[in-house]
Amino acid sequence: MKVGVVFCKCGTAITEKIDADQVQQRLKKLYPDVDFVTVDLACSEGGKEFVEAYLKDKGIDRMVISACSPRDHENTFKGCMHRAGRNPYLMQMVNAREQIAWVTADKVAATDKAVRYLDAAVRRVMLHDKLESKQLDICPDVLIIGAGPAGLKTALTLAESGRKVIIVEKTPVIGGMPVRYEDTFPKMECGPCMLEPIMGDILHGPHSADIELLTMAEVQGVVGSYGNFIVQIKQRPRYVDPHKCIGCGECTAPCPVSTKNPFNYNLDEKKAVGFTFAGALPNSVYIDPEACVRFKGESCQLCKDACPVEGAFVFDDKERVLERNVGAIAVMIGSEVYDCSRIPNLGYGKFPEVYNSVEFERILSSTGPTSGEIKSRTGKPPENVAIVHCVGSLDSKHKDYCSSVCCQAAFKFSHLIDKRVPTAKITHFFKELVVPGKEEFHLFHEAQNNTKTKLIRYGSIEELKVSGSGERISMEHPNGKGATEKTIFDMVVLCPAMIPAEDTAKVGKLLELTQDKAGFFDEMHGRMDSSLSKVKGVCLAGTCQAPGDIQRSINQGLAAAGTILSGLVPGRKLEIDPIKASVDAARCSGCRVCNSVCPYKAISFDPAKKISHVNEVLCMGCGTCVAACPVGVIKGNHFSNQEIMAEIDGVLS
Amino acid sequence: MTFEPKIVGFLCNWCSYAGADKAGASQMQYPPNVNVIRVMCSGRVDPQLVLKSFKAGADGVLILACHPKDCHYKEGNYRAASRNRVLLQLLQQFGIPEERCRFDYVSAGEGERFSKVIGETVEAVRALGPLELQ
Ligand SMILES: Cc1cc2nc3c(=O)[nH]c(=O)nc-3n(C[C@H](O)[C@H](O)[C@H](O)COP(=O)(O)OP(=O)(O)OC[C@H]3O[C@@H](n4cnc5c(N)ncnc54)[C@H](O)[C@@H]3O)c2cc1C
Ligand code: SF4
Ligand code: SF4
Ligand code: FES
Repeated sequence: MKVGVVFCKCGTAITEKIDADQVQQRLKKLYPDVDFVTVDLACSEGGKEFVEAYLKDKGIDRMVISACSPRDHENTFKGCMHRAGRNPYLMQMVNAREQIAWVTADKVAATDKAVRYLDAAVRRVMLHDKLESKQLDICPDVLIIGAGPAGLKTALTLAESGRKVIIVEKTPVIGGMPVRYEDTFPKMECGPCMLEPIMGDILHGPHSADIELLTMAEVQGVVGSYGNFIVQIKQRPRYVDPHKCIGCGECTAPCPVSTKNPFNYNLDEKKAVGFTFAGALPNSVYIDPEACVRFKGESCQLCKDACPVEGAFVFDDKERVLERNVGAIAVMIGSEVYDCSRIPNLGYGKFPEVYNSVEFERILSSTGPTSGEIKSRTGKPPENVAIVHCVGSLDSKHKDYCSSVCCQAAFKFSHLIDKRVPTAKITHFFKELVVPGKEEFHLFHEAQNNTKTKLIRYGSIEELKVSGSGERISMEHPNGKGATEKTIFDMVVLCPAMIPAEDTAKVGKLLELTQDKAGFFDEMHGRMDSSLSKVKGVCLAGTCQAPGDIQRSINQGLAAAGTILSGLVPGRKLEIDPIKASVDAARCSGCRVCNSVCPYKAISFDPAKKISHVNEVLCMGCGTCVAACPVGVIKGNHFSNQEIMAEIDGVLS
Repeated sequence: MTFEPKIVGFLCNWCSYAGADKAGASQMQYPPNVNVIRVMCSGRVDPQLVLKSFKAGADGVLILACHPKDCHYKEGNYRAASRNRVLLQLLQQFGIPEERCRFDYVSAGEGERFSKVIGETVEAVRALGPLELQ
């Protein structure tokens, strides 16, 4: 072992305060075998060459470099070590500039402090381990959970760059929420049409061979970590071969069973065989086994008889469990809306003419229960419509946050009602108005300038009281002039808060994702890394991370795709930095304290051997577990107790 | 001659150590008594290391972390903060008054705050005089 100390003068920035000769003399006394050399500007090209040559010529294998902050140049000098054929971890930097020379008024005190720091660094570097970074093979394929706008855009972007993508979608259709909307704010583009090019490319585009789309499927198990996950996917039987079905729909009319249509929020009925809605993609019918009489023992096969394609119906279709190897997982399972019946004064669930926003989207849609005609359940077009914003949002009794899209959806509704029922009067009741962005204000101004439309602010949602009998509903509400009024409305549309999707906790548990206070998936960092979860290799996008519009969801999906593309490159190995924790298996007592303290869930417990084990792909090297282990058997590489204690002895000597 | 206390300062790499660098870049002058030991996260600061510092001759110990919510490793600073309460009790058992051990937060941008914390800590420990361990 030969230790060399390289003392950088940094022009005069360091030597102005620290006397290099004195440091050398005092160090020589303490460590006669340690070599000492000064250099002018170690980080310059010439300086780096000098350091490399010095290491080689003098046969130095461990280096202490006294210079600037390791936060600036630790990697620079590790590079010198590497190029000189030395292990880069056999190096210790002393921050002589930022933390001594620049902050110490007195020259003698600064020189003393430098000697202490160098003493500590020499003691420490002699204990350093020859650490090596590891190279792991990776699988570049990606799993995407949820085929809404976010998931689809992510999938297509990845496939376009040649990646294999597996999309797991729970329902029989792709497109998520927006395929249910006739029009989308801010530009009133048709929802399904806007997504059609992406969906078309996913299904039949030039890269569709690289996309495995699994509808009616859910992930049920995940093992492994970044670079190498094994996922288990359960796919429910469709009873129709989607590759053979030509989507003609001949089978639906003969089907004798009608059942509530969940896609239209049970506002109408559908057959046991059929599409979720006209134009749904993939363009293939499916059988609902809960409704179909064949599954109740009858021998009906009217659908099959009507089908013009041989072999499209597969009555003995079975649930399948598939296993796939992927390197990264993108979670994009979207959101739902808050249950308005939790605010009883609004009459939701009690009066049929009180709708929530997603139900009303279906009423507006040409593929919905009324084929896009706005009419009450009695069949009449409404004369007076109330639209209530902020239902359950910005409300400490319900959801604290602003759901960010409801005002815009409300003005979209206003626009469409005005267009389709020009005689209708509309009143918006809002707590706050939120219409950010460069295009979003148009629909708001339109409502504001419309003489048949009123906007009234309320203070608390309890001020709105819906009552009535039969079709006639009335609402007691503030009138905007400080008093309360009662008005008859024939339709009330509630715009509830966006809340995490039903499966958020379930999917979160499978992937060990944490949820924030409101239940949305926790992102790595709200400003810098909102498309990453806190689990390495698991990306997030769309409304499962935070409420937002389609633009935000798609952008976040693109960001996730970018992170995956740059992190997992086919043919490139995953480089694992060696500054990690490791458990001494022979001495671990199995107390599991470390399992709970690790912020990355990198430590798992082996119940058979009754010991804990650190996953080096997940460990970020913070050292929290090292400090927490009650029996002190976790070693933190490069920051071991021994190394730190040697440093303590050095600075106090 | 005035008493010059010896202090060990454990600084996490991402905030407090960066805050110290910021103080340096702004050339703020502060006393040289705090000897900085860089750890990746305040969560790494094992009570053992603090005890070791006192046994090795430190008159005071300073632990600096990222502000709550800002830890680079999400929650290492929460662990450090809760561990600190246990640490202070432990120090009592060894006859070390808790005023000799300070836990605080400094962000990467708080160069001024860093030098202020250093100044205060040095003066506080100076006032306590040298630590005499039984
Ligand atoms: C009433 C209303 C109107 C809106 N109008 C507009 C508008 O006009 N313009 C606009 O820009 N934004 C609008 N938005 C917002 C828009 O709906 C969302 O931004 C968008 O749907 C988010 O896309 P996503 O991909 O994140 O999620 P989603 O669209 O919700 O898609 C999520 C997908 O994941 C699937 N999924 C769920 N759980 C699982 C599981 N466990 N496994 C597999 N798959 C699963 C779902 O079935 C779904 O297909 C509106 C929102 C509401 C509530
Ligand atoms: S804290 Fe230490 S003893 Fe306990 S399980 Fe973890 S490694 Fe084993
Ligand atoms: S060092 Fe930190 S990230 Fe690594 S296993 Fe320990 S607690 Fe987890
Ligand atoms: S990184 Fe600063 S406290 Fe954890």
